[in-house]
Amino acid sequence: MFPQFGATADTLSKASTIMFRIGTDAHLYDDPEDVNIAPLLDSKFDSEKCEALKRLLALIAQGFDVSNFFPQVVKNVASHSLEVKKLVYLYLLHYAQKRPNEALLSINSFQKDLGDTNPLVRAWALRTMAGIRLHAIAPLVLVAVGKCARDPSVYVRKCAASALPKLHDLRLQEHSSTIEEIVGTLLTDNSPAVVGATAAAFSSVCPNNYSLIGKNYKRLCTILPDVEEWGQIVLIGILLRYVIARHGLVKQSMMFHLHSKEHSSSENDDSDADSKFGKEGIDPSKKYDSELASMIYRCYIEGPDDYLSRSSYSNKVFLTFSGAKFTSSKNNEDVKILLQCTSPLFWSNNSAVVLAAAGVHWIMAPKENIERIVKPLLFLLRSSRNSNYVVLCNIQVFAKAMPYLFASHFENFFILSTDSYQTKALKLEILCTISTDSSIASILKEFQDYIRDPDRRFAADTVAAIGLCALQLPKMASTCLEGLLALTRQDSFTSDARASEEEAGVLVQAIMSIKMIVKQDPPSHEKVIVQLVRNLDSIKVPAARAIIIWMLGEYSKVGEIIPKMLITVLKYIAWSFTSESSETKLQTLNTVAKILSNSKGGDLETLTKIGCYVLELAECDMNYVVRGRGCFFRKLLSSHLGSKKLEDEVVASSQNEGLLNVLAEHMFHEQATQQSPVPVNYRVYLPGSLSQIVLHAAPGYEPLPKPCTILDDADAEAEVSEQDGSDSFTGSLDEESGSYNGSDNSVASGGNTDNGKTGSSSEDENIQDPLIQISDENHLRPAGSADLEELMSRRDLETWLDDQPSLPNSSIPEQSKVPRSARISIKDIGKRVIPKTYELLDPANGNGMKVDYTFSSEVSTISPHVITIQASFENCSSETISNIVLKHEDFTTKPSDSSESSSQDDVPALIPMEEITSLEPGQATRETIHVRFHHHLLPLKLVIYFNGKSHPVKLRPDIGYFVKPLPMDVDAFKDKESHLPGMFECTRSCIFKGHVDYLNKEKGNHTFAKDKFLVVCESIALTMLSNANIFLVSVDMPIAAKHDDASGLCLRFSSEILSNSAPCLITITAEGICSEPLNVVVKVNCEETVFGLNLLNRIVNSLS
Amino acid sequence: QTKLLLFPLSSSCSASFHSSGETQIVSEQAIQREETMLQCIFLLSDSGEVMLEKQLTGNRVDRSICVWFWDQLLSHGDSFKQQPVIASPTHYLFQVVREGITFLACTQVEMPPLMAIEFLCRVADVLSDYLEGLNEDVIKDNFIIVYELLDEMMDNGHPLTTEPNILREMIAPPNIVSKMLSVVTGNSSNVSETLPGATSSCVPWRTTDIKYANNEVYVDLVEEMDAIINRDGILVKCEVFGEVQVNSHITGVPDLALSFVNPSVLDDVRFHPCVRYRPWESYQILSFVPPDGQFKLMSYRFRVRKLKSIPLYVKPQITSDGGSSRISVMVGIRNDPGKAIDSISVQFQLPSCVSSTDLTANHGVVNVLSNKVPTYVRSYEVVLKLILLSYCV
Repeated sequence: MFPQFGATADTLSKASTIMFRIGTDAHLYDDPEDVNIAPLLDSKFDSEKCEALKRLLALIAQGFDVSNFFPQVVKNVASHSLEVKKLVYLYLLHYAQKRPNEALLSINSFQKDLGDTNPLVRAWALRTMAGIRLHAIAPLVLVAVGKCARDPSVYVRKCAASALPKLHDLRLQEHSSTIEEIVGTLLTDNSPAVVGATAAAFSSVCPNNYSLIGKNYKRLCTILPDVEEWGQIVLIGILLRYVIARHGLVKQSMMFHLHSKEHSSSENDDSDADSKFGKEGIDPSKKYDSELASMIYRCYIEGPDDYLSRSSYSNKVFLTFSGAKFTSSKNNEDVKILLQCTSPLFWSNNSAVVLAAAGVHWIMAPKENIERIVKPLLFLLRSSRNSNYVVLCNIQVFAKAMPYLFASHFENFFILSTDSYQTKALKLEILCTISTDSSIASILKEFQDYIRDPDRRFAADTVAAIGLCALQLPKMASTCLEGLLALTRQDSFTSDARASEEEAGVLVQAIMSIKMIVKQDPPSHEKVIVQLVRNLDSIKVPAARAIIIWMLGEYSKVGEIIPKMLITVLKYIAWSFTSESSETKLQTLNTVAKILSNSKGGDLETLTKIGCYVLELAECDMNYVVRGRGCFFRKLLSSHLGSKKLEDEVVASSQNEGLLNVLAEHMFHEQATQQSPVPVNYRVYLPGSLSQIVLHAAPGYEPLPKPCTILDDADAEAEVSEQDGSDSFTGSLDEESGSYNGSDNSVASGGNTDNGKTGSSSEDENIQDPLIQISDENHLRPAGSADLEELMSRRDLETWLDDQPSLPNSSIPEQSKVPRSARISIKDIGKRVIPKTYELLDPANGNGMKVDYTFSSEVSTISPHVITIQASFENCSSETISNIVLKHEDFTTKPSDSSESSSQDDVPALIPMEEITSLEPGQATRETIHVRFHHHLLPLKLVIYFNGKSHPVKLRPDIGYFVKPLPMDVDAFKDKESHLPGMFECTRSCIFKGHVDYLNKEKGNHTFAKDKFLVVCESIALTMLSNANIFLVSVDMPIAAKHDDASGLCLRFSSEILSNSAPCLITITAEGICSEPLNVVVKVNCEETVFGLNLLNRIVNSLS
Repeated sequence: QTKLLLFPLSSSCSASFHSSGETQIVSEQAIQREETMLQCIFLLSDSGEVMLEKQLTGNRVDRSICVWFWDQLLSHGDSFKQQPVIASPTHYLFQVVREGITFLACTQVEMPPLMAIEFLCRVADVLSDYLEGLNEDVIKDNFIIVYELLDEMMDNGHPLTTEPNILREMIAPPNIVSKMLSVVTGNSSNVSETLPGATSSCVPWRTTDIKYANNEVYVDLVEEMDAIINRDGILVKCEVFGEVQVNSHITGVPDLALSFVNPSVLDDVRFHPCVRYRPWESYQILSFVPPDGQFKLMSYRFRVRKLKSIPLYVKPQITSDGGSSRISVMVGIRNDPGKAIDSISVQFQLPSCVSSTDLTANHGVVNVLSNKVPTYVRSYEVVLKLILLSYCV
């Protein structure tokens, strides 16, 4: 404890609380075990029982396991004292699942209580009975719930409703229809309280049973304002889903508006959009907005994972919605009533209710009425600090799609001193999005204050936000630039004295923002560049200097002033070159090279001199990257640099020269202006959902249902004719979508031609290098159906480039974002896989009998829970061994137990094996046995009988064989992987040495038969395949990297868990030098987190 | 009675640190996912000790999640403390911190995050109402009541009974009488024998049989004003938040109506569940059957458009020479509002480089709340709180 100023006051208050603690349960919590609890539980007096139970609860609260008192506690369930009952129930619920057999003892008492006259007793009994979750009593509970659903007391009916999900959790297929029936009855209940609880049950028991909702839709809507607040939240969601599934989206709504906007804009896209933008002066950011908005719309319906993965393969295969899928809020009663009944909920005291209601209006309300949600949402910001962040996250999405909604309320997003950093960052982002010409002045003024915030991280964010604002409102660009420039000057002074890291961050961010703004329109911001360059002397932060120098090179020909001052500046940077950091040196080299290759005319000679000087310095640099860059530029610019000196060489390499010139031209002259707008791939989830906050689909997240996918039972008869109509509609819809794709041919054919290019270029390279085969993606093996054996028998190495092998038109290395990589497939490895052999019985212990076993990669046909094992029996003794048989331990000792276990899972632990009648000395035989392990870590106890004796043995499971190969291609792998983020992903790193020995051996032979890379890949793959039953999906290797740098090498394996066929993905990334031990990172993505973790540990053990 | 707050004051809680060398235990049992909302609620003291755990579903959450949580808290500091939703490797966590007590709820499936946060806030409200304040001792002393309350408030991960009035009838709050009784007789029950009548009525917030000798209702208007003033002293934003707090002691089941002189000034309103929506929609009249005792009837918000300045002025003045600097803050009343303004408190934070302070005030008391930052030995992060008591002009 740290000394505190108010320490005396603290102790005083503590002393006073001791006085108050008399008469409370304090002593029970502090010393729960100072008396013997067991006799108290058996006491005659309720008060003593109470005390004992309280002590047990205290122990539970402190995290001790007191389940050993279970039998004694259960006896007290029959007590008449309600307090004892309540305490027993609390204890029971905590431990019932651990002690199912003893828990059964309490059932009689529950059944008695269910007939009690006191509704409180009935309700408690029902809650506890359902809460202990035993399969054995499920039918009893179901009957009880059915009875209580008709109870006169509202409270009991409410408890019956909340007992339904507990029953559902037991996954009893045969009862599910009964459960749904009870849900249906309770939904029609008169009491709003019951309806609320039932809504919660509905959403977990049968969320897609829309017919139940359809029958009561109107009544549910009207009752909605009276339902208790927690029920409202769930019920709103259910009603929204129902309306969309039943009627589709609303024509006047924001969703439809975005959708149609997107259609028109996509038409624009088909014709060359760039020229249109130029002519009509459409703000590119606006187009971006509509793109984003339409994406939001699609994310709601399809779920972002689906949408994003789909858009990554095929660019524009949109789901097309015909007009039939939309409805009108004016004509449709159901939509109207939903909106009407949710609007008073904006006044609710519960912020979750307000947000849920706002979500409904956001999706369903006519566009002109959407503003209704703004003020209630803003009011939520005030409610509590904890909900603040969540509300802001949702507002952010709304604001991105429709900035004008919040534009006039910008003041609400001003930062308060008490906001947390996350809240501040979110508010900044929202302010950027909603800034308009009228509000930007005050927002910028506010930003100026934020820059002085003591939290420098936040200040840097503010600087970035200023840049974004300037991008959005080009009118403000010059004002923003002025402010940012002032900042660089001012900061440069402070950074002289004490250049703290955070301060530097602000400065770098400021210069990056300037760079971003200047890029929009370089000629008009010429002076800014000049000023920045002038400041070079005072700015000391390397990253900031690097950016300024880059800008100098990039805009060296822009305007009037820069070309004039170029030589002076170049002299300055050449002079300061040696004292720069390597980051700045690299940019200096780039800039010099760019200017050199661009320059023509009088200054050429001076420039060449400076260039030569800098290049020479670079070639003597300590840093090898700088040296390499220097050499490269000297070669590349040889024509510009020393044409006189190297005249003799020029003749020889005139051909090369031309090529180099073209290359240099390409690298430096083409300014990368036609950068496509940032691809919109935000993940957007439904408003108010958890997934929206954590930005990945939480388990159980469901996007909105597909519009118009159901037809109501109740209305079905009346709408038979309509149904016919809609049937024909869907038919025509298919046709329409077909024609839509056809009309979109231009895009598709574009893709094809690209592929064609890849193909042709691959042929070219084929000739050069027969080892590496570059294939078109169409030539890919049909991975899904591929037979493992067949794949493995092919002994060639297939490689194809991941990227299109186009010329590096991104001018500077800084801009190349994705490291290029090649993909190798190793096919011959299957034959070399040698599964590990384990010893089951040692000949020394087993009278000369030797039993070994290996895990087989075959998948058992008996049951998914069964693992196939190859066991080899060998007689090492000099006598014949007869009647060998392998049995499960329990088989003989406790037959009753095994029967019970079989009742649980219908598969015995060991499928009985055929008896081996006799084994001559030295003879060996192999047997296949099928085993069901209880757990993937715990060994199974078996007994071997032979010669009339028994030998207990332990069969240790190998988690690597609890999976089976799941063939898939890389795209499918990546797609699956993206579905299993966050909590389903675990990583560990280790050192891999397996390839070192082999490489050393090779070195001795002096015959480098194989590429080092291949050896590494193969040895990793081999180790993996020998230790686990998995499928090798792909091997990616970096081609940009140095010769024997294995960093970036990536192997992917896929498998699925035998018992529940959940996919289990393994990714191995290596780092280091080929010939040395590699640092390997293993990543496992698996829905079964515990299994995944154990598998990961197993893999790491086998690799290192 | 007008309460005026210049800036939202945050209670800065000092966290004391404890090191935990425990390794994370991964539960071996296969995780079976359930379609329930909240799975578990933990109550953590301000030193990271788990005071209580309440498992809400059959799928139990191991305590090790709290160890993970606390480790993260120690390594990330305050910004983590203010994060309401946290994605841990195995669970999604919701946290609400009240007076040093951390309420932590876990789930593994999708659910409205605001629902969890709002629920935790409600639990905190109910507990502090029951126990007359929240701190570590009071929760440990009354852990049985806390358990009973949690059990009643949530069933299978979904809120069951959260209405304070009903809870009070089902589970009696600790009071002097029951404490004395338990000391004398060693026997007292706080569990009600019968179901409150309100659970079955259509006004679940009010019990039916209430009798008073004098029927009276008190209505308090409590307004808070949030203002942002920029460096030049110009008012950037000013908003007023108000609450209508009612204390009702009326016999039977009364039906009350309350109307405002000029309801149109209110920008937004939020109501207690007892307020009927229809009359407000049509006539802007609050029509309600009140709960018994103290409750918040409604809250409202309006933006101050005409007001040029707030009733108070705060003028900071900073002068610096060499190693030391002087800050003087002047606080006063701008336009005489005709009333005395009392209990003014001014709170500001000094930068972390300040090593020592010497503060005085010509009225009232100065409090320096210190927060030692463990990495810098000599530097103190000082929050100066200058309280001018009964300051009248």
